[in-house]
Amino acid sequence: MASETPKLPIRISKVTDRYLLFDIDDVMYLRRNHNICSPFVGTMPQAPSQSVFMSLPIELMAEEATVLVEKGVAYIADDSVFHPSRIVSPDAASRNAYLQDLRRDGTRAAAAARELAEYKKANAASKGKGKKKDKKLDSGSAIDKDGPVSEEISLFDSSSTRETKPKAEPRAPDVWAVTPATSGALLTPPPEEDTSALLDVPAGYPLYAHLHENGYFMMPGLRFGCDYNVYPGDPLRFHSHFQATHYAWNEEISLLDLVTGGRLGTNVKKSYLIGGAIRSGNDKEEEADEKESHVKNKASSKTPVRAFSIEWAAM
Amino acid sequence: MTHQDYISDLVSVVFENLENQHDWTSLETHTHSSSGKISHPRPLISGFPPRRIYIHPDDQIEMIRNNTMGAAEQKSELEWVLPTNLNENVTLDFLSQVFDSMERPESLPEGRAKRLVLAVVHDDSTVVYYFVHDGIVKPRQN
Repeated sequence: MASETPKLPIRISKVTDRYLLFDIDDVMYLRRNHNICSPFVGTMPQAPSQSVFMSLPIELMAEEATVLVEKGVAYIADDSVFHPSRIVSPDAASRNAYLQDLRRDGTRAAAAARELAEYKKANAASKGKGKKKDKKLDSGSAIDKDGPVSEEISLFDSSSTRETKPKAEPRAPDVWAVTPATSGALLTPPPEEDTSALLDVPAGYPLYAHLHENGYFMMPGLRFGCDYNVYPGDPLRFHSHFQATHYAWNEEISLLDLVTGGRLGTNVKKSYLIGGAIRSGNDKEEEADEKESHVKNKASSKTPVRAFSIEWAAM
Repeated sequence: MTHQDYISDLVSVVFENLENQHDWTSLETHTHSSSGKISHPRPLISGFPPRRIYIHPDDQIEMIRNNTMGAAEQKSELEWVLPTNLNENVTLDFLSQVFDSMERPESLPEGRAKRLVLAVVHDDSTVVYYFVHDGIVKPRQN
């Protein structure tokens, strides 16, 4: 199930100005293919009284949501409007589709559980017979076949002296009752209208988009006093290379900020990166209503950006 | 004090600091790019530090592999210095203008970004130095 490519575009739920993803398939797809690895913000159902390990949903930065919408990979759904309209009184057809979908999930879950149980049994059996290499091979290949598995395994089990779990497990029912993590089929199809109006594009977006386009992974930058922590690859595999802070083209940057950022960055083996969208000298007046112009310009993700990396010179 | 005087004093403070505290040699002040066509937004200082002060991380890996690190460190490279005062503010625009007015050094390999050394002067004449790279340049591994 997890290896499936989710249906595109991916649905980003906007809940009180936060952009959330609830579907694990979407999360994995975005992390693998679009360099998105936002933090988990949900409580873990199995361990609700701690906040070290969190669970779904993940919360996207507004920049991430924007970049995905611009690429056409995702759309924004305002959940407070969307859910009541779709879910309160679905018509018969969508209700049926939803029930069908639930049933399909249930069947799949049951099948997966059965497969797993069989695989475990086969493994246990082959371990029991570990010294007989030829037999082990047989049982290994038996996993793939459907029919003969149970026979062979029972054969092994009976001959094995090693104690195994009671194999009287009742055969799993064909359809499991699943509690879906999302509202599933009720959420499709996505709304027709352009949803990018729901985005509040932050001022730092051009720099974010520039880095994202260059293949970097960005995480929130609070830890290092910047806008984004910039990783050259998946943060699970790499340390970050830069602390990035955006500035407007003619924004005054205090030199003390550059010194502070550069010094901190060098101490943690990073570079301090500053950058922003390039503006030609003529449209300075545009900068006054910067907020508005960003919202308007958000379609132009190819805004040229210039960035500078700063390191302590150790002298 | 006029702006002109202020700048020239600033430049001389950095110049002397480089010369006397850090033992740089062949120091020169430039108001225009070496081809003489473009004027720098602010005078730049060029010179040779006693030892090489910057090695790109990719080169560093290569040198460690070939065991030429020690030799490379002795071979000094020409550096460009931009003098500033801590009380000033800079903009991205200003830094871009400075970089655009600099000529690309011939020794700089293809695909590498230009760099300069930002000198920040404090009132007590402390000077600190930072590398500024024109682009996204990964940090050194030290």
